[in-house]
Amino acid sequence: MAASSKRRSVSLSLRMVAGSAVLALLVAAAFGVLVYAVTTLDDATKRERHAKAVTAQTLQLEKLVLDLDTGLRGFVLTGRNDLLRPWTTARRALPARRRAFLQLASTTPEERRRAEGLVNSINQYVEYYATPVVQLAKATPAASRTDIVRQEGALELGQIRKHFADFLGTENALSAARTSAAQRRSDEAIAAAVTGLILSALLITGFGLYLARSIARPVKEVADGAARLAGGDLTTRLEPHGIGEVEELTNAFNLMAERLEASRRELEEQNERLRESEQAKSDLVSVVAHELRTPLASVLGFTSVLLQRDVAAEQRREYLEIIEAQGRRLSALVNDFLDVQRLEEGQLSIASELVDVSRVVREQSELFAGQSPKHLLDVSLPPTPLPVRGDSNRLAQVVANLLSNAIKYSPSGGVVRVAGKRNGTVVRVTVQDEGVGIPAEVQREIFGKFARGHAAEEGIEGTGLGLAISRSLVEAHGGQISFESTKGRGSTFWFELPTASPG
Amino acid sequence: MTAQAETTAAKTVLICEDDSNLRTLVRLALGEGYRFFEAPDGPSAVELPRKLRPDLIVLDLMLPGRSGFEILSDLRDGDNAETPVIVISAWAHSDEAAYAAGANRFVAKPFDPDELRAAAVELLEDDGRQQ
Repeated sequence: MAASSKRRSVSLSLRMVAGSAVLALLVAAAFGVLVYAVTTLDDATKRERHAKAVTAQTLQLEKLVLDLDTGLRGFVLTGRNDLLRPWTTARRALPARRRAFLQLASTTPEERRRAEGLVNSINQYVEYYATPVVQLAKATPAASRTDIVRQEGALELGQIRKHFADFLGTENALSAARTSAAQRRSDEAIAAAVTGLILSALLITGFGLYLARSIARPVKEVADGAARLAGGDLTTRLEPHGIGEVEELTNAFNLMAERLEASRRELEEQNERLRESEQAKSDLVSVVAHELRTPLASVLGFTSVLLQRDVAAEQRREYLEIIEAQGRRLSALVNDFLDVQRLEEGQLSIASELVDVSRVVREQSELFAGQSPKHLLDVSLPPTPLPVRGDSNRLAQVVANLLSNAIKYSPSGGVVRVAGKRNGTVVRVTVQDEGVGIPAEVQREIFGKFARGHAAEEGIEGTGLGLAISRSLVEAHGGQISFESTKGRGSTFWFELPTASPG
Repeated sequence: MTAQAETTAAKTVLICEDDSNLRTLVRLALGEGYRFFEAPDGPSAVELPRKLRPDLIVLDLMLPGRSGFEILSDLRDGDNAETPVIVISAWAHSDEAAYAAGANRFVAKPFDPDELRAAAVELLEDDGRQQ
């Protein structure tokens, strides 16, 4: 695994360069071998030419020796000076011819040794036989014509001729051997070069296929993927294979597709949120209109009854009280609705001052204590202040809402316990009543807008916005609000705010 | 006055409405001479018609615990298939849906007491002729 990932880290361009270099070296080597073959062949040709030249020189030297011998014999037999001319001519030409022969036949020390051996035997014949015999024939012709002298001459010449034959034979054999060796080497080299070139051709084809596979195919895949992407299929992803830059291309493509998909998803979600908020707004307007129409129906209906009918004084008062109460309810509804709207749009300004929650609870409790003769308010507060940071008017609104609910939802009266205390790092305010409680089925939505539980059927007035506003206010103070309730046994509402740091 | 009271004396009207003031207002609008029963929530608005077999039902579409449309279709499927129903609603645009669900009249809140009374009288007279 590690090896393969390491292998993948080698870039494609490096691979291409390395591959090309190796192939170039291989082709160069094949050509080198070919050049060697040609050189070897050329060398063999030169050797052959040289061998022919040596043979020619040798033959000429031999002819010279034969001329010497012919002149010698003719002169010795006849004593005529003119017959001695070949001898004289050959004798004069011999040194130059000898030198030329030696010069030519000295390619190797061995050849030179053999050539010198031949030349020595010629010298010996000329110095120790021929020249003395010519002088003898000039002085005493008869003595030079003896059998001994003739036999001696024949012997010497025979030896020389044998020398020549040996020399030529050896020379030809060596030359033939060398030529055939060179020919063989050349053949082998040509075979090697051709093999090398064929191998190179195969490798180049293979390298081309490799490049096609590792570049052309992935690039085609990327192009196809891009086409699918352009066609709207943003889930298009490519298999993450390939080497180096191609892998990078694939990865970059996938990243691009992911980003595109993510941003489209984001746009769709944004769109959905906009639609939802638009829907929520239109729902709210519709709910508000509905909520306004119910008290309005009472106001207009009872007014109409009062205007059109004769109503007894006592009943008239009752209807007028209903009209007044419903009018107030309309007014409270409008105020609460505006509060909710401002809270939701974050436009409600909340002061950030040091507030003693203890004082707020005490003041609100005193206000409510006088309103309901049926209820007993039991206020429990610590001797020290309960400092939080926030808006005293808004916190008073929350406490007032909880107290008002506690009284409203315990229509038969009872004790309402109000307590404030420090609870670790928070200040906790609790309002407990002995009222009707909240049925389990409406507990979940009690903090929602216009949630009034079963208040209407119990004849309890209210806008259904108080707790929604209270929750928004408490949350705007960084706190939380909750409750526990059992139907028929009463409810306990509480909220907590972070304690303000001293100083 | 007395004659009219006698002809309608036997008529029972069930008022299904969660707002107590509006229940009172409906009684006032219809006037003397009816026996009124009240259903302040969804469950009682389903239960009472079966027990009472009323002559007329005044039904609010927004009752706690049950939608008015559910109650309406329940009425039409049961013993009260022919009982005239006046739907009153603060949803001014739900008239078509109310008629489709089987309402005989639709009265938008806030309503004119006389208009409600006229509708009730008309429906009860029709009902009387059919029987």
